[in-house]
Amino acid sequence: MEKEEYRISFFKPTTLQARTNRNLIVKLFISWAVAIFGFQILLRVIEKPVPEEALITFSAGWENIESGNATYVDYQVIAQSMIQVMGKITIKPDDYDALKDGTGWALSKVYPEEDLPDLQKDVQHLNQLKEQITSLRDKEYLEAKEIIISKAAPALGIGEGTLLAQLLPIGLDDQLQLLAEENRRKIPEIMSLYLTHNRSVLTDTVFLGFPFHYFYTAVFLLVFFIGLCWIYCYRTDKLHAKLNFLEKID
Amino acid sequence: MKKLLILILSLIPLAVNASNDVTQLEGSFKVGPAIILIFILSLFVLVGIIFRAKDTTDYYAAGRGISRVGSGMAIASNWMSAASFLGMAALMYGTGYHGLSYVVGWTGGYVLLLILMAGQIRRYGKYTAADFIGDRYYSKTLRTIGAIIAIIISIAYAVGQFGGIGLMFKWVMGIEYYLAVIIGGSVVLAYTLISGMLGVTKNMQIQYVIIISSFMIPLFLLTFKFDYFWLLPQIGYGSAVQDIVEGIQISEKSGLMNSLGHHFAIVPSPEYAMPWDPSSGQTFFQWIAIAFSLMIGTAGLPHVIQRFYVVPKARDARWSVVWGLFFICLLYWSAPVYSALGTILSANPEVGKLSPDAIVVYTAQLGDINPLIVGLLAAGGVSAAFSTTSGLLVAGSSAFAHDLYVKVINPLARPKTQMKVARLGTLLMAIIITIIAMVDLALIAQLVAIAFSMAGCTIFPLFLLGIWWSGSNRAGAKAGLIVGGIVTLVSLTYLIGARAGWVLPFNDFITYYLGAWYFAWIGAPLAIAANIIVSKLTPETPLEIRKFLIEKVHS
Repeated sequence: MEKEEYRISFFKPTTLQARTNRNLIVKLFISWAVAIFGFQILLRVIEKPVPEEALITFSAGWENIESGNATYVDYQVIAQSMIQVMGKITIKPDDYDALKDGTGWALSKVYPEEDLPDLQKDVQHLNQLKEQITSLRDKEYLEAKEIIISKAAPALGIGEGTLLAQLLPIGLDDQLQLLAEENRRKIPEIMSLYLTHNRSVLTDTVFLGFPFHYFYTAVFLLVFFIGLCWIYCYRTDKLHAKLNFLEKID
Repeated sequence: MKKLLILILSLIPLAVNASNDVTQLEGSFKVGPAIILIFILSLFVLVGIIFRAKDTTDYYAAGRGISRVGSGMAIASNWMSAASFLGMAALMYGTGYHGLSYVVGWTGGYVLLLILMAGQIRRYGKYTAADFIGDRYYSKTLRTIGAIIAIIISIAYAVGQFGGIGLMFKWVMGIEYYLAVIIGGSVVLAYTLISGMLGVTKNMQIQYVIIISSFMIPLFLLTFKFDYFWLLPQIGYGSAVQDIVEGIQISEKSGLMNSLGHHFAIVPSPEYAMPWDPSSGQTFFQWIAIAFSLMIGTAGLPHVIQRFYVVPKARDARWSVVWGLFFICLLYWSAPVYSALGTILSANPEVGKLSPDAIVVYTAQLGDINPLIVGLLAAGGVSAAFSTTSGLLVAGSSAFAHDLYVKVINPLARPKTQMKVARLGTLLMAIIITIIAMVDLALIAQLVAIAFSMAGCTIFPLFLLGIWWSGSNRAGAKAGLIVGGIVTLVSLTYLIGARAGWVLPFNDFITYYLGAWYFAWIGAPLAIAANIIVSKLTPETPLEIRKFLIEKVHS
């Protein structure tokens, strides 16, 4: 072999084996890149920010409150929406506290004024108990929660056996009637942040129980990777057999 | 070793300290899980002693006598670290779909590794990454730098593992995190020192079986218990994901509760599954950058590359990747199940803020799974961290003893001296890792991602160009390393700055575009470009290297 030929470049293969191998690698690489990045780009291109139902009802209710045209129902729906957001596990502590403040305030607007001090005491009692108990199954603690649910849930239009009712007692502030000005400003932004999601036909189609895009990324892509690896090994073995290529053990 | 076990046992009574934690998920000593953990760790040490390294060849490359499937299992075990076992579910638990970028990155990288490197690396026939770099780029300086980089990457990677070990020891024993890190770190150090890579490889096969069994068993129980398709939980949990998106009302799964007495219910939470959800604080760019950085990092990690030396032929190296990836995917298909079920089971705010890195164990606990099985799960987590840490310590100590000491400092060193230096290197690394791990810097998976980006910016370009382009020369390699190193340094400076509360110039811009978990997205292409440009402008690679590439690596 001439000196000049001792050069190797992926893009300029000099032998049949190298060329075949290069072509195989290019095909697999393109499949790999399109499957991963192509899909995510497609997801990004076709997505739209879609609000949850709770945000739509919250926004309508909040607008009426801000314009001074609020009814009982407006306070009920914003409280329900805020409780729903407080039930999300991704919520940040500061945001949770702001919504807690807002929920208590909304409740105070629909709860009989003369009974409010009693309810406030119940909430304070629950919060004190929470500091003392060693188990969430503590009987007194559970009873204290039930008392609040039975009083406050109907006022907010929440069914007693529902998930929102379960979240209600722990989502109430000690100071029911007050809403800090800072929280008043923050609440619409918080609601919008947690209740708006990027959705498209790929996220809304259900496949084998999964949202399709989730199945594709979490399950299918991994199968695809193994498939690509298997194809590469299989084709390389075939190529080596065809060329009578023997590997040394060293 | 006996003394160490006695020390651990003697610490247990001190650690018995009943918890007042309202959720009662952590803090107290758990007898059953502790027994399982001690039994498994003793088993590892025993296997390590039986298959201990006899000489340097054994120590570095396990005598090259491992089968493809066995090597695949070892690759998987070596790979499936605390970041996979604990960290991945943690990321999805905290950031939903964003966490899948780690799943894709850590599996997709194997395709690159296989088609671009595995066979060629094996044919090149070097023991360590630094060996390859020094030889291919005919430079002692580069060998030394390569060895130092390999050690730094191993340390960065192992910090996350020690963090995982600490978390699990803390959970089992109810002791302080820092004490848990010291105890766990001491055990893994002792084991690695005794066994070397031969023991490690054998152990890795056993560890794989333990890791995957301990991870799978609770999944079947949890999906069965909460009424999902339990025969194949990796598909059955799809309905759980959809349930999270749409919400589960109490009436829908009436009677099903978590161990704290909360109904199996959740408010509609599309943020869990929807892409780059605004509430997660993560963007499309970050998703892509993380996936890409992890992929190229995979193909540049010294301890991963080193696995290819333990198979007899290049063909075995290739097939071992297929097997390895399959074994890895078994875990990666499963991790999101924990995350999804954990999300529902901890949905009630009363559960409180759970440490995301322990969500796998908490999910089993909240699902009221038998404590012994939860203990097995925790032991699996420790095992995952152990298997990877052993590989990392071996890779790091190999770089220290083989690439630095023998090749640079004392070429006439006898094999016995080499072994001593390797063990000294292991000890030093373990001490450094333990100290860093005690500072809780970030989530396990994020800590590990730093190591990937480092590898992607430094070692990956050297291997990629070194194998596929004979034009890449010593000067080009140095230029690439400098560029990759600068990007790494800038990113890490801003990470440390953020932790220390400093406000550096262009803070927001740099922390976003050169985030510590994904700076390789730009660092690697720049390093490759620098390597190519400088190589073109400087004298060609010597004929003997080009000849070697043609005749040995590509023929």
